[in-house]
Amino acid sequence: MNREELIKKWLDNELNPQELEAFKALEDYNALVKLSDNITHFKTDEFNSDVELNKVLTHIKTKKQNNWLKPFLRVAAILAITFGFYYYTTTLDTTLKTLASQKTTIELPDASSIILNAASSITYNEKKWEDKREIKLNGEAFFKVAKGSKFTVVTESGVVTVLGTQFNIKQRDQYFEVVCYEGSVKVVHNSNSVILKPGDSFLIIDDLLISKDYVTTSNPAWIDNESHFKSVPFKEVIAEFERQYNVTINSNNINTSQLFSGNFSHDSITVALKAITLPLHLIYSKTNNTIILKRE
Amino acid sequence: MSTHLNKDICDELRFSLIFKKHSKDLNNYLRYKFGDSLNPKDKVQDAFIKLWQNCKKVSPDKAKSFLFTVANNLMLNEVAHQKVVLNYKQHVPKSHTNESPEFVLEGKEYMLKLQAAISNLTEAQRTAFLLNRIDGKKHKEIAELLDISVKAVEKRIYGALKKLREDIDEL
Repeated sequence: MNREELIKKWLDNELNPQELEAFKALEDYNALVKLSDNITHFKTDEFNSDVELNKVLTHIKTKKQNNWLKPFLRVAAILAITFGFYYYTTTLDTTLKTLASQKTTIELPDASSIILNAASSITYNEKKWEDKREIKLNGEAFFKVAKGSKFTVVTESGVVTVLGTQFNIKQRDQYFEVVCYEGSVKVVHNSNSVILKPGDSFLIIDDLLISKDYVTTSNPAWIDNESHFKSVPFKEVIAEFERQYNVTINSNNINTSQLFSGNFSHDSITVALKAITLPLHLIYSKTNNTIILKRE
Repeated sequence: MSTHLNKDICDELRFSLIFKKHSKDLNNYLRYKFGDSLNPKDKVQDAFIKLWQNCKKVSPDKAKSFLFTVANNLMLNEVAHQKVVLNYKQHVPKSHTNESPEFVLEGKEYMLKLQAAISNLTEAQRTAFLLNRIDGKKHKEIAELLDISVKAVEKRIYGALKKLREDIDEL
């Protein structure tokens, strides 16, 4: 039997008397025994099974009382998070936007309706609507407000308040216009406030108040797919044209502050282009979505 | 399925029997594998408490394997790769080998070397070796306890012995 086998048998306490003699004769017998004996010093503290068992049983018995607490807390936490999330998401504001050449109608929770012109956006809170009818507007929209509590439209240029009426608000860069078609409308701009009756309009261009004639139509022209202008700086006409047809117009070579009166329709770009260029003796060239205007 | 229902561990008497049967081995196993600093006694308690909590799902013959696995995992959660250190005692314990009945307590230098060498063994080697040398368990018993083959046990113990000899002789 070789050395390794002897040692293994010794470890397992399986040496017969002969093998034991052979083991004792090994060269490192002393070292092995010394090692083995001293290992026993690493014996554990007495482990008293009875004492330990008692500890466990006591623990189990007292723990029985709280068995319901943890699951209960878990369920409560999940419910709290779910409700919180639900409440949060349903009380957020709603925002609606239109892109260029897009028009859309929105109905509000109180049956008021808004028609939104191209490149415009409105924001309101559905959940709070019953208590407070307030809308933020950026761009142009025509409002039909159901009778009820105060209805407020907030724009960057001013605040419009109504009680039940139909009116149009146009708020673009440096252009703020409110036209009342029915009922009565209060417009607050900077520190001025004015009340509009049907047909009245309020117009500010480049910070100047501009007086306008009575409006005799029952709704703004853009609702019927046409844009009407009366003595309006040409740059406003160009801006509206870009929004309606989703094109870019290069007007570097012409005078954009001259006043324009006329219309263009939203249905055909070639016809519309002619409508705005001919009266001012301009010519246009069109490549894809870019149009360049020049003097004749 | 129903045959197990009336023999499950959810009974204080049966539970206590299982405790008496396995707790000491589990305690020593944890101690040899992970050292003294991480409170093996507590983990033994925790493992048995978990056994009680799952008494319906664990059959008596699976209890030992459940306990060892749970206790092992509880330790692993804490161990964070610290060095494993076993403490030794200065007094002379009763000898249970049958060769030399008396032996001399070696000097501090030797014991410290031995302690360090034990820490340097692999967990597998150390556990098997100490179960054999300190608890006096046979290779077969260790194989059952650790759920490995007898050959594997022999290999681990022999490997441990060889490594310890080398480390200590490194004078």
